[in-house]
Amino acid sequence: MQSIDTPAPPNVMPPAKKTANRLAATKVGGQIVHDYWSDLFNAKDDGRKVVWYNGTYIPPMFQTMDLAWVHGEAWSAYLAAKHGELPAQKAGEDRGYVRELCSYARTHIGSALLDLRAAVDKAAVDPTDARALTTSKLPPPDMLVNAYPYCSSGQQWDQQIFRLFGKKIPIFNLSIPLLWGGRADAGYLRGSEWEERSKYVARQLRELAAFLEEHTGRKFEYDRLSEVMSYIKKSAELRMEAMDLCTAKPSPASYFDWIVSIAHVNFLPGTQRIVDYFELVKAEIQERIAQGVGAVPNEKYRLFFDGMMNWNKIGWLAEKFAAVNASVVAGRYTHMSFWQEPQLIDLADPIMGMAQNYLICPNNHGAPIMIGEIDRVCDKFDIDGVVLHASRTCRGMTNSQFQIADSAKKHGRQAMTFEGDVVDESFYKDELLNTRLEAMLESMDSRRNYFAKSA
Amino acid sequence: MEQLISRFEQAAQHPLEGARQWKAETGRRVIGSFPMHFPGELAHAAGALPLLLQEGDEPITAGLSSMFPFYCGYTRSIVDQAMKGEYDFLDAIMFGDHCVQLLGAADAIRCNRPETRILFNQLISSMNAPWAMEQARETFRQLQRELEEVIGTAITAESLTASIKIFNRNRVLIRRLYDMRRAGKLALSSAQLQHIVKSSMVMDKETHTALLEQLLDEIAAKPAPRVGGVPIYLSGHLCQPPKLALLDLIENCGAVVVGDDLYHGYRYIASDVEETGDPIEALAAWYLTRNRKVPCPTRSDAGADWDAFLVQAVNKCKAQGVIILMAKFCEPHMYYYPEIKEAFEKHGISHLLVETEHESMPLEQFKTRIETFLEIIKRRAAA
Repeated sequence: MQSIDTPAPPNVMPPAKKTANRLAATKVGGQIVHDYWSDLFNAKDDGRKVVWYNGTYIPPMFQTMDLAWVHGEAWSAYLAAKHGELPAQKAGEDRGYVRELCSYARTHIGSALLDLRAAVDKAAVDPTDARALTTSKLPPPDMLVNAYPYCSSGQQWDQQIFRLFGKKIPIFNLSIPLLWGGRADAGYLRGSEWEERSKYVARQLRELAAFLEEHTGRKFEYDRLSEVMSYIKKSAELRMEAMDLCTAKPSPASYFDWIVSIAHVNFLPGTQRIVDYFELVKAEIQERIAQGVGAVPNEKYRLFFDGMMNWNKIGWLAEKFAAVNASVVAGRYTHMSFWQEPQLIDLADPIMGMAQNYLICPNNHGAPIMIGEIDRVCDKFDIDGVVLHASRTCRGMTNSQFQIADSAKKHGRQAMTFEGDVVDESFYKDELLNTRLEAMLESMDSRRNYFAKSA
Repeated sequence: MEQLISRFEQAAQHPLEGARQWKAETGRRVIGSFPMHFPGELAHAAGALPLLLQEGDEPITAGLSSMFPFYCGYTRSIVDQAMKGEYDFLDAIMFGDHCVQLLGAADAIRCNRPETRILFNQLISSMNAPWAMEQARETFRQLQRELEEVIGTAITAESLTASIKIFNRNRVLIRRLYDMRRAGKLALSSAQLQHIVKSSMVMDKETHTALLEQLLDEIAAKPAPRVGGVPIYLSGHLCQPPKLALLDLIENCGAVVVGDDLYHGYRYIASDVEETGDPIEALAAWYLTRNRKVPCPTRSDAGADWDAFLVQAVNKCKAQGVIILMAKFCEPHMYYYPEIKEAFEKHGISHLLVETEHESMPLEQFKTRIETFLEIIKRRAAA
């Protein structure tokens, strides 16, 4: 490691040689995700009904009814991660969707447009275009469910899908109101607002069960939901335990390992396979700690990532940070969401605990409570600096980022912002990130030097 | 008439000064509010002045440190004004819309101006939910309780019904102007009509109504039919009004505006609240049904079709074309634009999209586009 007295100038360009030491277990995770999509593409052939949904992690409700499901965001992210998003985005643009609109939505709606086009004319999909072929594999919906905490764009997006299919597909809108936190008794997981909203969302989940019964002609078995939730809960516990182990220095896993493990707790079926996956992840992390191995070989800086992921750039960003010995240890999207409070789930009657976990999507807290939680996570992982991804078309995640940066600075941490987007690569500004990252790391070095000399 | 229009203009152009003066003169409370969906009747019933917060004309400066530039001009302007202390005289601000950008603005203001009293009430945006009525009612009851606490006055059913009647009367009178405009019997410009609607959002309602009555009397005494031009319908601009220079430009290019669905226009005054029965129930019903009168893209409502509404409205007022005014970064409008465009194309309605921004107003470029648009309409009509 470099001495803190003689800091090397950070070189922010990703090196030709890979530096990021990604968890080997994530390859197993990747296979599980791949199998999910392959299975989904065959859903219609298997006679399963398909739900398109957006928002929070409600698939246990669908799994209970043996449905297949498509998470619109995940589909857009999947296409982007495979660099196959452009045909869908172009289809959206051709129809007139303005580029400043949520790129998740533009990609998903564009994909639906391609679907509709192919349904009318099979020749509309160019058989030599692998990306267009991938896009066209998405099975069309039999039901739509919208369950977006916080973001109005999410609800409007599903309305567009509903209207695109001629308002003929049954739709259920789950309202997940903001936890504003303005009452005197407000706090994280407490207060009268928390209690009222929890009951409200729980009640709607029971209505959702009735909606699914109505449109499948089958009974919603709550025992089956408990069984599904038992796997989800166990996976969530293992994930949180494994994340907590990353307080170790060097951090054995990085934010980018957790990013590629989100699908498993976001929209994959609750089965033993995801429990096994997180056991594998945890075991590898424990082994790395025993051996002193880090996700970034020469960890010098520990960072927190705020904002939505830039799905086109996962590997690119992982390498960029690792190349300058910066370990991105935690993030708002990974550490403060996706069943992050599994203890709230009572397997005898999981509905209330599910509702509460949906409510605490990190955006869905008013800024003071959300920022308090971010600061708590930063303290826990001994974070030096906060990197804020200002995702151009995802205002749900850019709201309050100025206040998050202010709070980080008040707590003695550096903060920097870079511009990009969730799945529209054209908004990503690499040089801006390079310059700002370099400046932030230099500031950290200066600060360390100052304190080292003062000591 | 010029004198009356000037009164409306003064109030519309300087809403905060007007409210400050009203407060000083009456010693009563002023409650700021986000636009679009919350009725002002509740605050009025408690004796306060409900003030719909308006986009300012000033460049965004202080607000730059709290909001990204890729947010709509209204949101950024509101935060900017708050951070400059412009809202410090307000007794409370009522936030709570569903719009993600406005939610960001609410938090930015809370963090930067912690002394501002905020009432947060989020209306259900899913209008077809079986529990929508119950939720809307409960939201208004909660707001009623909070307003009573801030203002220190009980809002009785009688006082609320009285306020509803006052607001209805005001809307009815403005709608008369709209009817006259549609019938070609009103010579007011779009900018003048905006002054009238916008001032209604910020003035003491009874004073505004009294001025409106005088205006209608004067118009009746001296009817002045509109002079020719290409009849145009204006659509869009939800939270903030289109800039006056743009409205003037459209008319100076040879258009005559015969109808609109602007929030600082017909959308604001399109529907009334029931004056009988439980007034909270009536407000909840108003909220849930007004979307069918003028569909709003911010609400999820299977029974409302903005595109179909527009086609009908355009035909009703015999407009020969539509200018769509889209505030940059307004997501709900961006979502619905493609199907509106398709509906216009299907029905052979000429249309022009004009994207507006808070900071810049490329008037020369707009002029060329609007003149060309009007020329195309004329040629089509002549063909």
